[in-house]
Amino acid sequence: MSLHHFLILGAILFTTGVFGIFLNRRNVIIILMSIELILLSVNINFVAFSHYNNDVTGQIFTFFVLAVAAAEAAIGLAILVAFFRNRATIDVERIDTLKG
Amino acid sequence: MLENYFPILLLLAVALATAVVMMAGSFLVGPKRNYAEKVAQYECGFAPLSRVRLPFDVRFYLLSILFVVFDIEAAFLFPWAVAFKDIGLTGLVEMLLFLMVLLVGYAYIWKKGALEWE
Amino acid sequence: MAVQLPEMNLVLLSPEILLSLVAMGLLLMSAWSGKESRGLIGTMALSGIVLAAVVLAGLSSATPSATMGGHFIDDRLARAMKWLLLIATALPLLMSREYLNQHGLDSGEYYVLTITSLIGAMAMVSAGSFLLLYLGLELMSLSIYVLAAYQRDQLQSTEAGLKYFILGSLASGILLYGTSLVYGATGTTLFTAVANAIKTAEHVSPVLVLGAVLVIIGISFKVAAAPFHMWAPDVYEGAPTSVTAFIAVMPKVAAFTAFFRVLLEAFSALHVHWAPMLQLLAVLTLAVGSLGAIAQSNIKRLLAYSSIGHVGFLLIGLTTGSQLGHQSVVFYLANYIFMSVGAFCLVLVLNRQGIGDQISDYAGLAKKRPLLAFLMSMFMFSMAGIPPLAGFIAKLYVLMAAVKAGLLTLAVISVIFAAIGAFYYLRIVKIIYFDVAEQPFDMEVSLSHQIVLAISALIVLVVGIFPGKLLDWSLASVQSLL
Repeated sequence: MSLHHFLILGAILFTTGVFGIFLNRRNVIIILMSIELILLSVNINFVAFSHYNNDVTGQIFTFFVLAVAAAEAAIGLAILVAFFRNRATIDVERIDTLKG
Repeated sequence: MLENYFPILLLLAVALATAVVMMAGSFLVGPKRNYAEKVAQYECGFAPLSRVRLPFDVRFYLLSILFVVFDIEAAFLFPWAVAFKDIGLTGLVEMLLFLMVLLVGYAYIWKKGALEWE
Repeated sequence: MAVQLPEMNLVLLSPEILLSLVAMGLLLMSAWSGKESRGLIGTMALSGIVLAAVVLAGLSSATPSATMGGHFIDDRLARAMKWLLLIATALPLLMSREYLNQHGLDSGEYYVLTITSLIGAMAMVSAGSFLLLYLGLELMSLSIYVLAAYQRDQLQSTEAGLKYFILGSLASGILLYGTSLVYGATGTTLFTAVANAIKTAEHVSPVLVLGAVLVIIGISFKVAAAPFHMWAPDVYEGAPTSVTAFIAVMPKVAAFTAFFRVLLEAFSALHVHWAPMLQLLAVLTLAVGSLGAIAQSNIKRLLAYSSIGHVGFLLIGLTTGSQLGHQSVVFYLANYIFMSVGAFCLVLVLNRQGIGDQISDYAGLAKKRPLLAFLMSMFMFSMAGIPPLAGFIAKLYVLMAAVKAGLLTLAVISVIFAAIGAFYYLRIVKIIYFDVAEQPFDMEVSLSHQIVLAISALIVLVVGIFPGKLLDWSLASVQSLL
């Protein structure tokens, strides 16, 4: 296993996450999952770099990313629940009241 | 030493292959005649009373949201505990401050009734 | 093995610490106290901000210093931007209290979230590393997502919050991925150490460039630079107007300071790589800002495009890479706060008596309320960059910096788009002055609105005529850069 393997894994997860946000037309929950995927790909990068550079900063960064990801998921779900109560759907194409 | 485990690996592979072959075989060869009664979920012999995919009570979400946040914050305790002897009093005070901030949030959600089920 | 903890000079963090204590205190207060004390919470939040300003002023003169192992920087730029942030939070808060009352939004959490986002922004402008930059950015953004969705029984507000959340989180993710690549290429997250690593390396690694590009894209999302602007009009329109006024100014100040820190402290050696990219972004942003606004009928959407246009100008100042350019950015930001707050305050004032957010609702304002009409025209003229108002001087300095840096094409393009932009500002003035009045416009202007309007109008006018002091201040604040 070399650094490249981890970076490629991270890159695949990152692109999956980004495409998950833009191509997904069905469900907002999937978007939330995609966002988590992006953050996890970043964590893989950080831990891999940290290991191969022999520097602990990356692992510390990962802790903070995890904590922020939890807060982000909580806030995202909370806003989604509030939206669902008004619109009665979490269909991505129905998030369309605001446009112009 | 690892060679000793080779039979187990072989067994796993054979088991996996058997399962895959059987499922794929029945999927490919078996006839598919679906009608309402057949595709309906099984509910002890009588016609189903409700749909299986019930929406979850939103209160589960609320509790799990709160759980996730506090759960992750606990992750900061582990590196602190490992380095506890080395960082001394400063580390202790810092962790106490950190926990105080968490406690403020906890007191808030408690008082707001977010932890009550009813 | 004894671990050497980094020295911690908590005095430098005292404004942030104070605000954190205020936020926590208010959070507990809003849970324990009843409805009657809500006004008190608002007053306490405002006093907390004023107190933080006093503490900030009381800090000994800023010799650039770093603490917390270099993660927290205290220099002239940080101090100056903290002043702007405090103003950009206090004024919207002051003018939104009645709006909150009327729309049943006046709960303590509103103030707590405002203050936490302010703390995040202050951490951002003091960031000496990608770690603190990211944490500050997230604290600011997460609080603002909730604020945008604050009117939670209303579809538009929750939808605005949801959109802001999705695109904002995507932006943070991109920024973070870029950070991880930069960390991988340089082995550090401290800005100064990143800069050293880039200078000492024999060649610039593609990983580093990709990381830098992703970081820039991430911050561009936050300032709503085209083509990463698509969230802005929707969020501005859907969010409660008091929140819109806040998110139009405060995050911009923080994000542009982040640009300063990242581009000039960490990636200064990569100027040849990022300058063309930012120039392209600037042109696109100017185009979107001025062309997108033309067809708008909603005043909040129009102001969203207007702010995108201003971001285009700010980006030009940034790309010059010269001290004059940086000075012009700080100066522009300072003026932008007052123009924007003033305009939004008028929207709030006029919004109250069932008049919607449509521009046509302002028809004939001048006949009924000449003073309000005059103020509105003044802010519009200032945004359009018409002398002798502050917006003119701000645009002038950006253009001067661009010309001096040899970016003549960019300067010409920006003038063209500014001229197109002037068209829709003037359209509002025309509607106010020459259209037939349909609304009674019999609202009272409360004391807090009067104060905010007076401050904004005064600054826009005085700075327009005597810009010297503010220009000196802007110059002093960017001298530690480069």
